Amino acid sequence: MYRLQSIRKCYGSNVALDIEELTIAEGRLYTLTGANGAGKSTLLSILAFLSPPTSGEIFYAGERVDRNHGPVEEYRRKVTLLHQSPYLFGGSVDDNVAFGLKVRGIRGEERRRRIDEALDVVGLRGFRDRKARELSGGEAQRVAMARALALKPEVLLLDEPLANIDRETTGLFETVIASLPAQGTTVVMTTHDPDHPGRLNGESIFLEGGRHVLRSLR
Amino acid sequence: MDFLASSFASALRLIGSFSPDVFDAVRTSLAVSAGATVFAALLGIPLGLLVGLSDFPLKRMVVTLLNTLMAVPTVVVGLLVYGFLSRQGPLGVLGLLFTPTAIVIGGVLLASPIVANYALASVRGADPRIVPTALTLGAGRFLAVGTLIGEIRFGILAAVIAGFGRVISEVGVAMMLGGNIRGYTRTMTTAIALETSKGEFAFGMALGIVLMMVALIVNLFLNLLQQR
Repeated sequence: MYRLQSIRKCYGSNVALDIEELTIAEGRLYTLTGANGAGKSTLLSILAFLSPPTSGEIFYAGERVDRNHGPVEEYRRKVTLLHQSPYLFGGSVDDNVAFGLKVRGIRGEERRRRIDEALDVVGLRGFRDRKARELSGGEAQRVAMARALALKPEVLLLDEPLANIDRETTGLFETVIASLPAQGTTVVMTTHDPDHPGRLNGESIFLEGGRHVLRSLR
Repeated sequence: MDFLASSFASALRLIGSFSPDVFDAVRTSLAVSAGATVFAALLGIPLGLLVGLSDFPLKRMVVTLLNTLMAVPTVVVGLLVYGFLSRQGPLGVLGLLFTPTAIVIGGVLLASPIVANYALASVRGADPRIVPTALTLGAGRFLAVGTLIGEIRFGILAAVIAGFGRVISEVGVAMMLGGNIRGYTRTMTTAIALETSKGEFAFGMALGIVLMMVALIVNLFLNLLQQR
């Protein structure tokens, strides 16, 4: 799905990420581990096409991503990043989950069906008309997950999705995340939990000081 | 105290009797303030957003300049515009001096920096996750900025209302550029200044009450919107 070659991301003189080569295969689940400041969020941001690398090349589905020739929006619409503390827009749960669908021109019955399905998956059936800002922290996390799932992205990038959530939501998210590769979705998630690769049946990518130092296959 | 109480009672009677002089001044004030606010919003909101959302050399200087312009005395703005619109000025041929349009021009210059600064403050205070969230959900750059504006809409609305407050409450520009012509360019503030100097304290107080009522209504409107 991705091939990264000689990717460097610098902030001034500070090198946040320096990866010689990294391949992420389609339909697999990867856990991205490393200490704070290892470059995990930087890498996710690059994979989400939100932030360009300072140098190096990215290939997505075999195509070289060239920001100088054409917008990256078409790539961005295939990939969704879910932040550790996601932002919910003002308005209803429905407005939030519908946002990305509207952007993609999905309307009417199809939009409605996708919203219902996504809310069902995260256990929030019946929450469509609730105000997003009045939800509890766990509910807000679930809405953000539903908002990402409704888009049926080719790649789902998760920035510590299991941090700061209650036990019930953790169990739910683990089940949902583990089921995604079977549906063809590639998942890359950052985590501090060393048990996650095993529990989620995924591969592990380890970063240290911005460098990709280890990859374990299960 | 008797003087104040009797003046207040007379002021209420003037308002209740629909005095044409009072209502002419109110109408003119509202018209020029609304006109100036619309143009100030059209200038100030994009300017504030542009400065807030982009990085460029001398940005700090531009922000300082905008802050400084907020504090420019109204008479200085009046003097400057007077220079342009007076018969000998570069725009004197347009014959705009001592017309409501001249007050609107001065009002735009007064209110634009306020609207721009409030809009800038709203952008700076906005949640930094808004634009990345919109982008990662597939929005283009324009839609992401549009989403940001939607999320900070109350700050933008406050910017417009602050601009309106600046224009409707000022005296210098209206006096110097409007000339305080009865029934034409006499606003509430210039009427208050004139009538009070003539000893018509009750008349001034009547207009003061109306001015406060307008401020109250505008703020009630803002609160109502925020509660929705």
